[in-house]
Amino acid sequence: MPIPSMTRILLPLITLLGLLSTLPSVAPAAATLDLSQYRGKVVYVDFWASWCLPCKKSFPWMEQMQRKYGQRGLQIIAVNLDEEQADADRFLRSYPASFTIVRDPEGVLAERYGIEGMPTALLFAPDGRQAGRHIGFRESRKAEYEAAIVDLLPKGSDGK
Amino acid sequence: MRRWTALGLMLIVVSSCSSLGVKPWQRGVLARPDMALAAESLDAAYDDHIYFSKEASSGGRGFAGGGCGCN
Amino acid sequence: MQLKPDGEGQGSIRQALALAACSLLGGGASAQATDTPWEIDSAVLLYSEADGRVSAIEPVATARKEIREDEFVQLKVVVDALTGASPNGATPSDEVQTFTRPSGTGVYTADPGETPLDDTFRDTRGAVSLSWDRPLGRLQRRTLGVGISREFDYTSLSANGQLSRDINHRNTTLSAGASLAADFIHPVGDIPTPYAVMVPPDQPQPRDTDIDDKLTLDLLFGVTQVLGHDTIGQLNYSFSLASGYLNDPFKILSVVDGVSGKTRDYLYEKRPDSRQKHSLYGELKHFLGGDVVTAAYRFYSDDWGVISHTVDLRYRWNLNRENYLQPRLRWYSQTAADFYHHSLIAGEPLPEYASADPRLAEYDATTIGLKYGHRIDAGSEWSLRVELYRQDGVDHPDDAVGLQRNLDLFPETKAIIIQAGYRFRW
Repeated sequence: MPIPSMTRILLPLITLLGLLSTLPSVAPAAATLDLSQYRGKVVYVDFWASWCLPCKKSFPWMEQMQRKYGQRGLQIIAVNLDEEQADADRFLRSYPASFTIVRDPEGVLAERYGIEGMPTALLFAPDGRQAGRHIGFRESRKAEYEAAIVDLLPKGSDGK
Repeated sequence: MRRWTALGLMLIVVSSCSSLGVKPWQRGVLARPDMALAAESLDAAYDDHIYFSKEASSGGRGFAGGGCGCN
Repeated sequence: MQLKPDGEGQGSIRQALALAACSLLGGGASAQATDTPWEIDSAVLLYSEADGRVSAIEPVATARKEIREDEFVQLKVVVDALTGASPNGATPSDEVQTFTRPSGTGVYTADPGETPLDDTFRDTRGAVSLSWDRPLGRLQRRTLGVGISREFDYTSLSANGQLSRDINHRNTTLSAGASLAADFIHPVGDIPTPYAVMVPPDQPQPRDTDIDDKLTLDLLFGVTQVLGHDTIGQLNYSFSLASGYLNDPFKILSVVDGVSGKTRDYLYEKRPDSRQKHSLYGELKHFLGGDVVTAAYRFYSDDWGVISHTVDLRYRWNLNRENYLQPRLRWYSQTAADFYHHSLIAGEPLPEYASADPRLAEYDATTIGLKYGHRIDAGSEWSLRVELYRQDGVDHPDDAVGLQRNLDLFPETKAIIIQAGYRFRW
C-alpha cells in the first residue's frame, strides 16, 4: 500500500483513538456500595489499600471503633483499592478486621465518591446523608475522628 | 485535510499531558520502596563522594516526591 | 545505666536518645516519640585504585527517627580513612624526578617513565550531620540540616534547607533547596604560593599563609512528576557558586623545555578564586514486569570551561520478594578546564591560571557494577555492591613535546569499589 494512502487512514484513526481515550472509561459492572441497607446506622466508609502506610495505623483504630460502637449502631466499611487481591489479603493477615471489606480493584467506587487522597474516610449519618470526610489518617487526630462518630450515634440509655 | 488531522492529534496529546498523573488510589506501584526516588541514598551519597573526588563535575541529584502520596 | 537482661536496658537507651532528639528540637517529648524505632542504615565502602594509588575505607551510618507524627530527625556519621598516592600533576620524564614534600621537609621521587605520585598521607576524616524534616501543612515539607567535616588539613561547616510542595493531586512535587558551606584549608607545611617554583627542602619554602578559606553556595530546583501508574520522573536544575581558595595545595605543574621535553622546574598550580557551576539532571524510574529500571542523565557546565555528560543506568532485577540483583552502568565524559595544561613550556609567558590536575583534564570514564540485596524482614536488609571504575584520557596529546611524545601523559585511574550495607530498625 503506498505510504500517503496509509497515512490518510491511520491519522484519523489515531485521532479517533486519542479522542476515545479521553472519555471516561466505561467501567464494567463491578463493586457496588448500597448504603441504603445501612439506613439507621452510622456508616464509616474507609478507602484503603495495602500499600498505604497510614492504613497500618487506621486499621487497628477502626477495629477498636467497630468493637466499641458496633452495638450502638456503627458500621465500618473498608473499601479496598488493591489491584491484586493477594496484596489485600496479606495486609489483612497483619491487620485483621471484623468489619466489612468491599473490594474495588478498578476504582469505580473511588471515582464515584471523588477520592482525593489515600486513605479517605467518609462518615454517613443514620439518615443517609454524608456528615463528614477526611483525607489521610493521623494518630494525633484519633480523638477527633472518634468524636465525629460518637456525635452521630444515637444516645445510649445511660445518657452518654 | 491531513494538516487538520495532525493538528487534532497534537492537541489531544498536549491536553492529556496537562493532566499528567494518576488517581490517588492508583499509586500502588509508585508506593513500592524500590520505586522511591530517594531509595539507596547511602549508595548515592558514596557515589557523589567518589565522583566529586575523582571528577570535575558535581551535584545534580536532589529530592524526593512520588511514592504513595498518602495523607 | 545498667543493661537489664530482658532487653529493657536497650529500651532505656532508645528512650533516652529519643528524648534528647526531641528536647534538641524544642518540642515537648511526647510518649509517641519514644515508641517509634530508629531506622539505621549503615555501610562500609572500600575503594581501591590499581598500582598502589589511593585506597580508602569509609564506614557510614545514618539513624532516622519519627519524633512526632510525620516529623523526623536524622543523624549521619561518616569516617573516611585514605591512604596511598595520587598524581601530583607533574608529567613523567625520562629521568628520576625528585619532589619536595608538602610539609617542606623530605622528598619523594618518581622513576623514569613513571607518573609522579605524591604519597603524602591524606589522613582520616570524620563528618557528622544532622537533619530535621517536618510537614508544613498537608502538602508541604521542610528540611533543615547542618554538618561538620574535619580532617587534619581540612575543615568544613555547612547548613542547608529545603522546601517541597505537592500539587496536581500529589502527582507533581516542586522542590527548592539551598546550602551554604564554609571550608577551611590548613595543609601540612602551609599554603604554597601559586606559581612559585618548587625548591628543595634545604631552602626556604614558598609559602603564603597557614590557612585559607572557601565559601560555597548551592541552589537546587526540582520537579518530580508521576508519569503513569508505573513511571516517575524527576528534573533538577542546580547552581553552585564557590569563592575563595580553590587550589589544590599539593598539586604542581611541570615546566618543560620546548624542544626536548625535559623537565626544568615545577610550579605550584594556580586556579581562579571563583567557580560557577550549572547542572541539569533528569531521572526516570519505570516499573517493568516486577523489576525497576532507572535511567538518569546529567548535563554539567561551569565557568572553568568544563562541560560533562553523565548517563547512569540501573536495572533492579527482583528475583523474588526477598532478593534482588542490580547491574549498573555509568558513562561519563568531560572536557578539560580552560586552564588545564598537562605541562607548561619553559620561556613562554605564564597563563593567567594553570593546573595539571588530572581531574580537570579531558577524559571519559566508565563504571560497571553489580549489587545484590537480601531483605531479612520488613525494615532490615543487607546488600553488597561491587563496581569497577576506570578513566580514559588523552595519553598522547598533540602538544606533547620531545620525550613527552613517548610517554603516557594521562595518569589513568582504575579502581574497584566494594560496598557492604546493612539496614535495620532499632
